[in-house]
Amino acid sequence: MRESRLMLVQYVTAVLAVVLVSIHLIMQGVLYPYTTAISFSNILSIYRNGLYATFLEALLVVTLVHGFDGVRIILHEWRQTAPWSRWVDIGTILAIVISVGYGTRTVILAVFGGVAA
Amino acid sequence: MSTTGATGEERAKNRRGIRGWLNPYHYNLERWAYFFQRVTGVAILAYLLGHLGDTSFFVGGPTGSGPSSSSWAFIGSIFENSFGHLILVLLVVVLFFHGANGIRLILAEFGLILKKPGRIEYPYEARSLGLGQKYLFWLALTVAIIAAIWAFLVLFEGMG
Repeated sequence: MRESRLMLVQYVTAVLAVVLVSIHLIMQGVLYPYTTAISFSNILSIYRNGLYATFLEALLVVTLVHGFDGVRIILHEWRQTAPWSRWVDIGTILAIVISVGYGTRTVILAVFGGVAA
Repeated sequence: MSTTGATGEERAKNRRGIRGWLNPYHYNLERWAYFFQRVTGVAILAYLLGHLGDTSFFVGGPTGSGPSSSSWAFIGSIFENSFGHLILVLLVVVLFFHGANGIRLILAEFGLILKKPGRIEYPYEARSLGLGQKYLFWLALTVAIIAAIWAFLVLFEGMG
């Protein structure tokens, strides 16, 4: 993908992240007292609500794409050689896939997994 | 200026790399904002990766198979204390600064808060960097401080 398109991705994910993170913080610190917000039963009810689960997955993807693309931009500013650029791009894609995969596993298990004590 | 024919030594002097970030000599406000935007970005990503790890304990950790209250209580016993909450307050500071300053950067990138560039004259300040985007930088700092106070009140409520 062209660098200008990737920069646009960075800006679009930035705006989306501001919106999604704001909603996340409001849910954690405004709607409920903090101790209630992080209680097991409250989090379970959030995950088991399809809309909230979708929201958390979107938050996961947007923030990780924005974060790792940001590191990619920093690393491209740091050094400019063809092999370095190639490995930075490959590393960024791998980091996004692995971290989004791990976070998605948490969401899927929280939504569909059997509840244990 | 073309760099064609520059010696290796000249290129090395020109490429300051990571040290170029850390040397504040001759930094203006926008350069400091650039520096903090990157430092806070890396810090937030580091937290985010840690947060991926700790939230996975809601489903029993890396080897879990579903929501587990004992696993969640275990991870809570490690992070739900004054030190953990202090880290969260610091996170809120950098998060709000990064978000608000990031909006300033996007507006500047699309030319919405910059003035028309003019001929460079003494004292050699960029004419395009108007007061509007400077105010937005200070607004970003103010928002971060207010958010930190809010986070402190939320997180330390009833801990005393």
